[in-house]
Amino acid sequence: MASFGWKRKVGEKVSKAAVQLFEAEAEAEAESHGPDEDNVDWLHAIKRRREVLLEDCAAKSKRLKDEGALLAEQERHWEAIKRWDEAIQLTPEDAALYEMKSQVLTILQEVFPAVQAAEMATKLRPLWWEAWQTLGRAQLSLGEVDLALRSFQVAIHLSPAERPLWEEDLSWAQKLQQQSRATSEKSREEEEARRQLLQAPEMLPDYDFESDEVVTACETIAERQKCYDRLRKTTVLIDSGGTVVTTAESKDSPKPPQHQFVKARGL
Amino acid sequence: MSTQYSILFKQEHAHDDAIWTTAWGQNEKDRTETIITGSLDDTVKVWKWSEEKLELQWTLENHQLGVVSVDISHNGALAASSSLDANIRLWDLESGKQIKSMDAGPVDAWTVAFSRTPDTSQQAATWGSIAYSPDGKYLASGAIDGIINIFDIATGKLLHTLEGHAMPIRSLTFSPDSQLLVTASDDGYIKIYDVQHANLAGTLSGHGSWVLNVAFSPDHTHFVSSSSDKSVKVWDASSRACVNTFFDHQDQVWSVKYNGDGSKIVSAGDDRAIHIYDCPM
Repeated sequence: MASFGWKRKVGEKVSKAAVQLFEAEAEAEAESHGPDEDNVDWLHAIKRRREVLLEDCAAKSKRLKDEGALLAEQERHWEAIKRWDEAIQLTPEDAALYEMKSQVLTILQEVFPAVQAAEMATKLRPLWWEAWQTLGRAQLSLGEVDLALRSFQVAIHLSPAERPLWEEDLSWAQKLQQQSRATSEKSREEEEARRQLLQAPEMLPDYDFESDEVVTACETIAERQKCYDRLRKTTVLIDSGGTVVTTAESKDSPKPPQHQFVKARGL
Repeated sequence: MSTQYSILFKQEHAHDDAIWTTAWGQNEKDRTETIITGSLDDTVKVWKWSEEKLELQWTLENHQLGVVSVDISHNGALAASSSLDANIRLWDLESGKQIKSMDAGPVDAWTVAFSRTPDTSQQAATWGSIAYSPDGKYLASGAIDGIINIFDIATGKLLHTLEGHAMPIRSLTFSPDSQLLVTASDDGYIKIYDVQHANLAGTLSGHGSWVLNVAFSPDHTHFVSSSSDKSVKVWDASSRACVNTFFDHQDQVWSVKYNGDGSKIVSAGDDRAIHIYDCPM
């Protein structure tokens, strides 16, 4: 059975020779530091060292950021992202790194990571309008028109004098929103018409088959079917100029197919 | 009458998104107090302030985009709102119906403010902020470049140009006697100007970030500021000292206003909450 005991200390198995060698080396090191030992203010030395370290991180991150920007300019996008990722490791609070990364990710059509990076940038620097603009653009390429519109509005609210935000981003997103609304409205109408067809309110359970009731009901249902057909024939077209046009196909609405009448009489 | 500053009421989730603007008004006839709020969720909400709580009266939904500015007319019967959709709308507060809609073109419709002169016409300014002096003589505007212009309303002439801030001016307010003008800017400072002589009378620091809104109290002696550092600060206008800081909001505070007699303050911001504070009188 394997034994385990708290008393077993780490390093117990290190040979005596190794320990002695280590001790000797440590002593030698201490001696070499000996002469100037008195001049060192340990409190400040430690502080200074920490400052130096921080500075190094910031400086290195800056260098990586600039390198990435250069690479991005040369359209070496993935390399740029690699640089910025390294920089993010060094300075994780730098919103600009995430924002630039998001722009490049959008170019690369990596839409979801692009949105995530931009969201991080807005979280780190919520008052920076450019981060919101980048987030909006990333959301647009993800197809989230409503969210993009919100991001652009936040950006404008932070910096209303920024003309491109109004003229390009906001109006573009608004146009897209109108278009998507027109399409969804059309499909909603169609769906509604179809539903009405299937559960026509005219289909009373107890028809007096002698009377005209049946005829009127059939007529209304036929009318409904025509209406549905017409709806199906129309399409929402968004031309290259961005204007929304609802067109009906040119064919005259044909007679409804026979089997639909069969269904209406089937009661 | 309270003797110290305290939070009186919180309306959480007052809107579905950030609240950008508020106004506090009182109806001349029935003395009822109304608070209106405008939000990024495209709506304007009309609240009745009675028995120390808020009651939602109307939700006005005609705007297509976020509402950036609201104001209530002097008699408390009308409200105006402007939105990023470039429309200025005029509302009847009693019925909650829209009276008028004006297309102002983007950027040109930002701040709306009712003039305090008898004819209650409203004004829109190019971006920045505007404020009417209570005596109806002056109109002050602050711009994105930090420059403040003071106009004479009667002649329409530019009286003074003040170069006070290095960054955009978010808000301005006149003292009730129209002698002082207080400005708030992204540079984190609040400045006080003597209107007649166009002198800088004081620079106040204390906010840790952009100062988003300032409002003078009707008591002549205090004004209040709100900031993206999530705080609301009340200042003494003569000693220029901060007399109280409220740290009750969870996010930046876009708007702050006094009520008619200076006994209450309303504030609202990105955390979608409306707060009402009690002020010592």
